[in-house]
Amino acid sequence: MESASIPVPARRHPRARRWLQPLAFLGTPTALLLVLFLGPMLVMLGVALDRGLLDGGPGFNLTLTNFTDVITDPLYREVALTTFEIATAAMLVQLFVAVPLAYVIAFKAGRWQLPILLFLVLADELNPMVRIYAWRMLLGREGLINEGLMRVGIIDQPIDALLFSQFAVTVVLATSYITYTVIPIYGAMKAIDSNVFEAARDLGAGWWTTARRVLLPLIAPGIFVALLLVYIPLFTDFASPALVGGTSGYMLGNVVNDLVLESGDLNRGAAMSIIMLVLSALFALVAYRLARINRLES
Amino acid sequence: MATRPAAAPPVERPLGHRLRQRLPGIAGGLLVAFVMVVLFGPVLMLALFSFNDSSIISLPWEGFTTKWYEEAWSNGQARDAVVNSLLVATVVMVLSVVLGTLAAWGLTRLRFRGRGFIAGLNGAVLVVPWLIIGVAGLIFFSQTGVPLSLKTIALMHLVVTFPLVVAIVSAGLVRFQRSLEEAAIDLGATQRQMLRYVVLPQVGPSIAAASIFAFAWSFNNFEISFFNGGFEQTFPVWVFSILRQSENLPIVNAVSTVIAAAQILAVFGAWFLMKRLTRRGGDGDETLTGLLTGGTR
Repeated sequence: MESASIPVPARRHPRARRWLQPLAFLGTPTALLLVLFLGPMLVMLGVALDRGLLDGGPGFNLTLTNFTDVITDPLYREVALTTFEIATAAMLVQLFVAVPLAYVIAFKAGRWQLPILLFLVLADELNPMVRIYAWRMLLGREGLINEGLMRVGIIDQPIDALLFSQFAVTVVLATSYITYTVIPIYGAMKAIDSNVFEAARDLGAGWWTTARRVLLPLIAPGIFVALLLVYIPLFTDFASPALVGGTSGYMLGNVVNDLVLESGDLNRGAAMSIIMLVLSALFALVAYRLARINRLES
Repeated sequence: MATRPAAAPPVERPLGHRLRQRLPGIAGGLLVAFVMVVLFGPVLMLALFSFNDSSIISLPWEGFTTKWYEEAWSNGQARDAVVNSLLVATVVMVLSVVLGTLAAWGLTRLRFRGRGFIAGLNGAVLVVPWLIIGVAGLIFFSQTGVPLSLKTIALMHLVVTFPLVVAIVSAGLVRFQRSLEEAAIDLGATQRQMLRYVVLPQVGPSIAAASIFAFAWSFNNFEISFFNGGFEQTFPVWVFSILRQSENLPIVNAVSTVIAAAQILAVFGAWFLMKRLTRRGGDGDETLTGLLTGGTR
């Protein structure tokens, strides 16, 4: 019973080296994250909880008014609703395209599989500002679509609703993130043993039943990963609504931008950012959990 | 008991039947074509109209010209913005590949207290929206009195980009069997030889892919550059500010076309290179599709 204490002095040295190695590999990256990721988040939280120079004078004056102001403002509530509508519409459009597309790539494309995937990667790598600009060029009042349709004689008046509308934002957003919707779903499909489809057919299931009862449960984890990757950036996007949204496509990201840069109200801007951060974190947690749970079952 | 009449085996299938069998394939092809047209059509039109001899980007077609390219080239702001973007993206790519690979190795191969926390921190960076990181950076720098410049842009880009490298390279390291490393050590290789001759060839493609994505993330980033750049502009910020101020301009078409062409070349060039690299190792396409889907799992 007393013999257990013998190796203690000999162990000291290896134990000291045991945390030296992780420090060598992870010291700099972790320090960077602590200073420039956690640091700014905490400072932003501090600013959001401060009364601000104009209302409270110099120094830190703890208050929750920034949060209550932002939450109770009826204008922001309306913008939040618009944001929810646009982000959800863009997400649904992407899912309706992505699920069949991923199916085609995974099971029907044959040797075209890799080239199609590569084009999807390319679509993501193209500069987002170039893409937004291109859509603006197509959809504008004097844009190519209106001009083209008028020249052919289908319409006499340009359709104004194409640009600076919720429609425009939805189109631009849906095309911006489609890669991150397709690839996780494709990944989930690749993991499926295609014999299950034959088994379903042999057992008399039609294609709709197979899609709903066999395919959908199996790709559920991929869909939740896609939601995790895409729905949050959709919610916080601000370049697309700023350039193609006009007044009707004004989203929460624009609110943050206008508070921080236009009106210089750092405190309320920070409060709004913190609220969006908490909402995204909650959403990410739920999506991650769902992806995990569904994977265990399948 | 009524017996069902047995259907005669069809000798020649009618056209309708053949069509119905082919239909899923045709529908799949149409879907892919539709998606490609929607994704790339607008950019092709943008490129086309960079050669139109008219200061308004619309029909009618006035004739072919390259004057917008000449004008873009002599436009100081446009050139500065592109050069700034290239500079920042190169620095961010190099640093984030080094830091990300180190961190990936540490997280997948070492066991220590606090590992979960560090892994979680890396993952959290990838989920927090860039808009919020950008705003937080702006507030942080303004409170600490650091002037905004290309350096602050690069620092914030680095923070959001190297965790991506960690994710991609970790996925590569996890797939790769550790027993090979142990075998190398058992056969008398030093730690350094093992890394050089066993690990590097295995995770090479992951690191290559990660550096391409790192460059693209930094080069394409708008939100963080917008909030943390002060008076210094990167390419996306320049396009944004022009579009906010005025109508569409043909020189933006010209610059955008050059950028898009370079990005297309980069993606396909990288694909070609990696295909040659991985062919030597045996399973080419499988490795590549694994790389593409690996990061998202």
